[in-house]
Amino acid sequence: MVLVLAIGDLHIPHRASDLPAKLKQMLVPGKIQHILCAGNLCIEMLIFLFPLNLCPDRHFARGEYDENARYPESKTLTIGQFKLGLCHGHQIIPWDDLDSLAMFQRQLDVDILVTGHTHQFKAYKHGGGVVIIPGSATGAHISITYDANPSFVLLDIEMGLRVVVCVYELIDGQVKVNKIDFKKTATTLPAH
Amino acid sequence: MPPVPASDHASPIRESISESRFSSLRGVRWRIDLGILPKSPASIDDIRRIAADSRRRYAHLRRRLIVDPHLSKDESKSPDLIVDNPLSQSPDSLWSRYFRNAELEKMLDQDLSRLYPDQEGYFQTATCQAMLRQILLLWCLIHPECGYRQGMHELLAPLLYVLHIDLQYLSHVRDEYEDCFSDEFHGVSLPEIELSSAYRFEKIMNMNTAATDKDGSVQEKSAKVTSLDELDPETKDIFLMSDAYGVEGELGVVLSEKFMEHDAYCMFDYLMNDANSVVVMAELFSPSPSIGSSTGLPPIIEASSAMYQLLSIIDSSLHSHLVELGVEPQYFALRWLRLLFGREFSLEDLLVVWDDIFSFPNLVSFPDKANESELGCRILCSPRGAFILAMAVSMLLQLRSSILATEYATACLQRLLNLPEDISVKKLIEKAKSLQSLARDTVFSCSTQGGIPGHQHGGRRGQSLSYGSSPVTPNLLSDSYWEEKWRLLHAAEELDKENCGDTVSSDMANGPLIGRFNLPRTASDPCPTDFQSENKNVGPSDTSTRVDRNHGIYRSDKVPRISATEESLCLEIEAETDYVEEQPDQDVIVKGLDVAEESRFNADNSLSTATSPHRMVNDHEYDSEDSSITSSSLIGRTCDEANSAENPCNTSIDKDENSIASSRSGQGPYSVEKHAAGLKKWKPLSGRFQWLRRFNRGYAEGNMGNRIAVEPQKSYVVADNCGSISGAPASDPCHNSYEVSRNIEDEDKNVIGTSGDPCHSSYEAHGEIEDEDKNVAGNLRGIAKAMLENIQVIESIFKQDQGLDGSKDSKSTTISGDGQAAAMAALEELRNISNFLSACDD
Repeated sequence: MVLVLAIGDLHIPHRASDLPAKLKQMLVPGKIQHILCAGNLCIEMLIFLFPLNLCPDRHFARGEYDENARYPESKTLTIGQFKLGLCHGHQIIPWDDLDSLAMFQRQLDVDILVTGHTHQFKAYKHGGGVVIIPGSATGAHISITYDANPSFVLLDIEMGLRVVVCVYELIDGQVKVNKIDFKKTATTLPAH
Repeated sequence: MPPVPASDHASPIRESISESRFSSLRGVRWRIDLGILPKSPASIDDIRRIAADSRRRYAHLRRRLIVDPHLSKDESKSPDLIVDNPLSQSPDSLWSRYFRNAELEKMLDQDLSRLYPDQEGYFQTATCQAMLRQILLLWCLIHPECGYRQGMHELLAPLLYVLHIDLQYLSHVRDEYEDCFSDEFHGVSLPEIELSSAYRFEKIMNMNTAATDKDGSVQEKSAKVTSLDELDPETKDIFLMSDAYGVEGELGVVLSEKFMEHDAYCMFDYLMNDANSVVVMAELFSPSPSIGSSTGLPPIIEASSAMYQLLSIIDSSLHSHLVELGVEPQYFALRWLRLLFGREFSLEDLLVVWDDIFSFPNLVSFPDKANESELGCRILCSPRGAFILAMAVSMLLQLRSSILATEYATACLQRLLNLPEDISVKKLIEKAKSLQSLARDTVFSCSTQGGIPGHQHGGRRGQSLSYGSSPVTPNLLSDSYWEEKWRLLHAAEELDKENCGDTVSSDMANGPLIGRFNLPRTASDPCPTDFQSENKNVGPSDTSTRVDRNHGIYRSDKVPRISATEESLCLEIEAETDYVEEQPDQDVIVKGLDVAEESRFNADNSLSTATSPHRMVNDHEYDSEDSSITSSSLIGRTCDEANSAENPCNTSIDKDENSIASSRSGQGPYSVEKHAAGLKKWKPLSGRFQWLRRFNRGYAEGNMGNRIAVEPQKSYVVADNCGSISGAPASDPCHNSYEVSRNIEDEDKNVIGTSGDPCHSSYEAHGEIEDEDKNVAGNLRGIAKAMLENIQVIESIFKQDQGLDGSKDSKSTTISGDGQAAAMAALEELRNISNFLSACDD
C-alpha cells in the first residue's frame, strides 16, 4: 500500500501565502511515500518547504509560472501496478476539457493522469483510466475563478489493481473528504 | 524402524504425570509447564480442546487487531470519511491504527532480521519471520503498557523453534506410521469417532507388531495388546494429538503447522504475562517499578540485586570482589535475566536450560508469607524465579576463578558477558538446582525475620561494600562446602573399597577408618575438653562462637535440621564431615559452595584453631607456630596459613599414634625453626602414605567419572605445593623438608623423578616404599601434573598481588586482595586435604 500526495497550483507567494492551516495539519510525515506536484509552485525554494518536503520521492511538472525551468513539461512514472502521468495542464487546450485530457493521457499511455491549472478539484473516469485534477492547495485565484476551494488529493494505491482517490477539500472552513474508487481492469494492464 | 525408542516398549507402565509423557515433544511439554495445557488432563481430548480454545482466542485477537483499512472499507460501505481517511489524526481511526502497526512492524523487523544470524536455517526464513513479527505485534498491541522492548523477540524465537522441532518430529513419526494418519475420518460422522479411532488403533497395533517382528522381539508379539492404553505411549500421544476432530476439523490437533503461530503466541503470552505467576517476564522489561514493590526500583534491578544477595550468601568473596570492582549486578544480569540466558548458551543448550526453568512452578511458594512487599525480592518467591536466580549464581560460580583474576570492571564484564563455550550446561543446572533451595530458604528466612537489615540487603546496590572490607565475612556454609566435596570423595572411596573387598569394608565398620575419615572430628574432639580445662585456647572458642553466630543468622532459622546439630558445632568447626555423616541429606545446601568463603573463614580462624591443639600437644610446636605467625610478610603469611592448615594433621597424628607423633613433633620445631613452611605437612604425609595410596586410587577413579571430584583433587594438589607457591624464599626450605621427611622415613628409596617438583618425587618415593602396584605411581604422577598447573595458577595470582603491594604498600599488611583470597582458598583446601590424609591414615 502506497500513499501518493497529488498537489499543485500553489502560487506562493504571488497569489497566496501558505496552505490553509486545516489542510496543513492533515499532512504529517511518515504516511506519504510519494509526492506528485503538478506545477506552478512559483518560487523554487518551495520545494524545500512544507508540504513538499514530506517525503524524499517527489516528482514535479513545470507550470507556466514556475521559476525553475528545469522541470519537464510532463512526466510519467510507475507506482505498483499503475502508470501515472504528470502534467501541469496549461498546455492542454481547451482547459478543463475531458476529451483533450483523455487524449493527452493516451499519448502518455498512463492509467492515471494528474494535472492542474484549473484550481478546482475534478476527477474523471473514462475508458481505461482516470484523470485527476487536485486543484489548488492554497486556493489561489485564477482567471477562471476567484473563489477556488483549497484542495489536494491523496492516492491510495494498493498492491492490487485498485486505487482509492481521497479528496481533501476545504469548503467554508471545513475539511471535506471524498473518496473515489478506481479499479484497473485486467485489459488495461500495460502491454509492456 | 520406528523412531520411538525400544525402551518405551519395555516400560508399559504409563506414567500419569504428563511431563513424562511428552518427553519427546518439548513444545507440548513446555505448553504444559507454562500452564497453557492442563497438567493432568483427563484425556487427550482435554488437551486438544484447550489447545483449540487458546488458538481461537488468538485468531480472534488477530482478527480484531490486525487492521487492513482497505478491507474494512468494503464491509462498511461509507464510514465516516472525516475520521477514516488516510490522513486522519484521530487515534481511533483504522488508518492511524494501521500506521501505528506499520511503525511497530518496522521496529520489529529491525530486530528480527538480526535474530540468530548463525542459525539462518530456520529463523531467517520468510515464514518464520512473518510469524514472529505477527506474534510480537499482536502481543505489543494487547499490552500497550509494555510495548515492544528489544529482547522480546529472543524470548519468542526459541518457543517457536521448539514447536517447529516438534512438528518435524511429528512428520517423521507420520512417515513411519503413515497408515494411522491417513484419513479414515472420511465418511465417518462425528459420533462414530470412537469407532474410527479404535479402527485405527488396530492398524497401529498391526504396525507395531510388524515393527517388532523385524526386531525379533517375541515378547511384543505374544503379548496381545487389547487396549489403546497399552500402546507405546509416545506414539499414541502423537497419534492422538494429530487426530482431527471438532467442527473445524483441524482445531483439535495439538500440534499443527497451521497453528504454530497460535501456539507460539500462547506460550509467549504465558511466559511474558501470566496473571497468576510470580516471574513475569514482561515486568523484567518494564522500566517502572512493579505494583506493590517496596523498593521502588524496576523489577529487573530488584531481581538482579536479589541475585547478588544470593551470591553474597553463597560465595561472599566473589560477591565482594564484584562489588569492589564496581560491577553492578544489572550490568550483566539484565541480559541474563531478560532473555532467560538466551544469549549465554547456544540454542540447543538453551532449550535444556529452559526445560528446567519451565519445569518449576511459577506460583508463590509461600502463600502464607505472600506479603510480597515485605519480601523485597519477589522473584525468589516462586520456585521458578528462585531457579532462574540460582542459575545465574551458578554461572557466576562457574566463572569464579576468572572473575577473581580480573582487576577491572570492564574485564570482568567481558568475561561475564562472554561465557566460555565449553561450559557444561548440565553441570550448571545441577548446581543451580542445589542452590535453588538455598535461594528459597533465603526468602524464607527473610520473610520470617522480616528481613535482617544487614544481611538481607547485603546484596543491594551500594551496600555490599561492607562485605569486601571486613575480613570477617559471613562464611556460613563454608564447612558444608567441604561436606559436599567430602561426600563425593567418600563415594569414590567407597567405590574403591567395594572393589578392594571385605578388608576395607571391615575397616569401615570397625571404626578406625571412619575415625580417620573424620579426622577433623577426631582431631578436634579433644580440643574442647582440653581448652575448656586449660582455658588457653582462644582460637577455637572464637571460632565456635563465630560459627554459632553464623548459624544463628543464616541457618538456624532457615534449616531447622542444621540447628539441631548446633550442639556439636564446636566439633564441627573443622569437622565438616560430620555433616555428611550425620545428615547426608543436607548436601543440597552444600553443593556448589565455593572455596573462598571458607578461606576467609579460615584465614582468620584456622591459625588460631589449628595452633591451639598444638599448644596442648607440644610446646615446641606452639613456639614454632608463634615464630611463623610473627613473620608477617606476604609470603610469611601464606606459609603461616599453610602451616597452620597442616597443623591439625600433626595433632591428629599425635592423638592417634603417640609414639610416632612425639618423634615427629620433635622434628617439627626443628623444621619450623628453619621456617620451612611446607615441612610439617610432609611428615604426616609420609606417615600416611598407606592411606594416601588408597585415597589416590579411589580418587583417580572418582576422577574419571566425576568431574566435580576434580576440584578437591586440585585443591589437594595445590595445598601440597604451598611451599613453592609461597615464593622463592620458601622453596628451599621446602626441599629441605622433603629431605627431612625422607630421612625420617629412613627408607632406601630411589627417587624416580627428582624433578623440580618435590611433591612428585616424594610421592614416587612413598609409592615405592609401600610396594604398591604401579597404578599408584601413575595416579600420583597425574596428581603431580595437576599440582603443577595449580601451582602456576596460584603463583601468578601471588605475583599479581606482589605487584599490587609494590604500588600500594598499605595493602601488604591486610589480607584482602583478591588473589590472596583465592590463594587462601587453595591453602584452606590444603588444610582440609591434609586433614583428610591424616584421617584416613591407618
